[in-house]
Amino acid sequence: MAAKGILIDNTRCIGCRGCQVSCKQWNKLPASKPEFFSGPGYQNPRDLNADTFTIITYKEVEIGGRFEFLFGRLMCMHCNEPACASACPVGALEKLKEGPVTYHASKCIGCRYCMMACPFQVPKFEWSKAFPLIRKCTMCSDRVLAGEIPACAKTCPTGAIAFGDRSQLLHEAEDRIRHNPSVYHHQIYGKDEVGGTGVLHLSRVSFEEVGYKTDLPARPLSSYTRAAMSAVPGVVVGLGVVLGGTYAIIQRRMELAGKAESSVEKEVESQ
Amino acid sequence: MSGKPKLGILQQALGDEETGRLNAGTKILLALVGIAVVIAIVRYIVGLGATTNLNDAYPWGLWISFDVLCGVALAAGGFTLAATVYIFQLRKYHAVVRPAVLTALLGYILVVIGLLVDLGRYYKIWHPMVMWQHTSVMFEVGWCVMLYTTVLFLEFAPAFFERYGYKNIRALIRRYTSPFIIAIMTLFAAAMSHSVLWTAIVFAVLGFLYMLVARGALREDADTPLLLVMAGVILSTLHQSSLGSLFLILPHKLSALWHTPMLPIMFFVSAVSAGLAMVIFESTIGSKVFRRPLELDVLKGLGKALPYVLSVYLLLKIIDIVARGAVDVAFTMSAQSILFWIEIMVGIVLPIALLLSTDVSRSAAGLFWSALCVIVGLVLNRLNVGIIGIKVESWQTYFPSWMEFAISIGIVSAGLLIFTAAARYLPVYEEDDPEIARERRVELAAAKE
Repeated sequence: MAAKGILIDNTRCIGCRGCQVSCKQWNKLPASKPEFFSGPGYQNPRDLNADTFTIITYKEVEIGGRFEFLFGRLMCMHCNEPACASACPVGALEKLKEGPVTYHASKCIGCRYCMMACPFQVPKFEWSKAFPLIRKCTMCSDRVLAGEIPACAKTCPTGAIAFGDRSQLLHEAEDRIRHNPSVYHHQIYGKDEVGGTGVLHLSRVSFEEVGYKTDLPARPLSSYTRAAMSAVPGVVVGLGVVLGGTYAIIQRRMELAGKAESSVEKEVESQ
Repeated sequence: MSGKPKLGILQQALGDEETGRLNAGTKILLALVGIAVVIAIVRYIVGLGATTNLNDAYPWGLWISFDVLCGVALAAGGFTLAATVYIFQLRKYHAVVRPAVLTALLGYILVVIGLLVDLGRYYKIWHPMVMWQHTSVMFEVGWCVMLYTTVLFLEFAPAFFERYGYKNIRALIRRYTSPFIIAIMTLFAAAMSHSVLWTAIVFAVLGFLYMLVARGALREDADTPLLLVMAGVILSTLHQSSLGSLFLILPHKLSALWHTPMLPIMFFVSAVSAGLAMVIFESTIGSKVFRRPLELDVLKGLGKALPYVLSVYLLLKIIDIVARGAVDVAFTMSAQSILFWIEIMVGIVLPIALLLSTDVSRSAAGLFWSALCVIVGLVLNRLNVGIIGIKVESWQTYFPSWMEFAISIGIVSAGLLIFTAAARYLPVYEEDDPEIARERRVELAAAKE
């Protein structure tokens, strides 16, 4: 199975939130209490949480004199080189070659470094539990590995959610932009962000306007720590040599100083 | 015939030597520890959400930033003094090594306790020992802290044996410490490098040094073998810097004022300065609390080195901010930039200025207050990197709950109490040779009758 991905076409989304519901159904997640907040969104809940793996975001803007909704999709981006997997000290998060970034609850120690590391702020924590887990979208890896498609893709009534090989979806996204240049903003979100992600997004307007994070580096975040980590064995050896050498030199000097003193004493005595 | 009342263990360890009365300060510290224990139990029963203000935007808060980051940095006196005395052979500082090592040992044990409260699945804290993800900075930090706490324990153990004997165990430890160090450092190299070559090189270098010592070509202190001290310096260098490296992966989440590829170096240099400052600080406090003479000569020496370390840090900081183009962020008014300037001014510029003046650097009070500035600056830096500098949406906030404060305060209180008890029972300070102490007690008893 080649690496799978998901293509989210926000121009086809109608904001029905069927994906949110089917995600909760498949993962047996409880409903989240409605949260009213001031701001540009109508989504519920306001943000991903331990019981909500995906959200449709809403932003109402004026386009050509008319008010329109811009829909966005919050979910795990299933990065090609996930920062969460790199950060986790016990390897509880793993990028499968089939595409999904999966979570092994049995390994997790609850340190929450993955939550800090994710550039999309996706992993959430079960704060209310005495034995908490990290929770996030799994790209329905159990369904995918069995040859099925994710629950959200299955449910979407407009075909806004496409599932397939990431490379094919990338071609599909480029085709859509090329054939409908006035409909789409000319960018595939997730093509290059933090080294490329398994989930790709298309939008009508700039992603910044929809509310996506757009100030992310193009290199995978794990590349920021690679230099520091690969230097560790060198530091052990280097310091070992320097400290041992310094110790030997200083001791030799002290010995020589001691010998010089005693030889001077002997000279003085012999005179 | 002395009619001494039977004293409880607390009175014996912490109370007045004659009456067993606990003074007010000790009672307060004990109360703080008691409260913290109760709250920890509550935390284990109801979870982190009900006891802390941590949330999905701020998964790390006071416990990580203060208990772990500050706790480890402020315990840096252990390895800096051990290197100064046992590798660079500056025997003048021998008097303060053992208290510094004890401070470090207690500091690290309390860091682990703090972690056991903060980790969501604390009962799996042993997982990094067998589940190796060597690209993770936190994996390295976990291993280093675990191994270094062992090193500190071995470095402090001689104090225990000097007081209580157990010559056969002491001989065992003396004999097997160096091979044990070679074994754990080799294992550590294997875990971190996943390379047979590097593991072999580490084994060869340490083994060669061990051979030199065994052959008599290098002499060493029987209780503080060269390899033990070296392991302490190597492990400390690695994890002091790695605590900074933890934040390398967060260019999106940490303010430009603090996020830099130089984070590991900045954390290491500031840890060294904090270590020196902590030795001055705890020596001064220790001399007042335990009514002992202050080793002013030693502290003056440390006070001479401190401005150099601080200046290196300041220079690196300036070069870094300018090179990354973060100067405008530094001069844009915001809560983060204000705290950034306080950190620099109070923690670095002020102590440098103070210590350059001979009036200050030669007086016990001047050294103490300069050291305190450095410590405050270090604490603020770690809080800035861990909490204040974290970028979130405008509607996401965090301030530690009273229970978080209670745990952190309780942990520090426990450290102070254990240090006090240890100083009473063990030869922590140089003059506390057991022979001399026994003679003194005999004299006292004879004088009473």
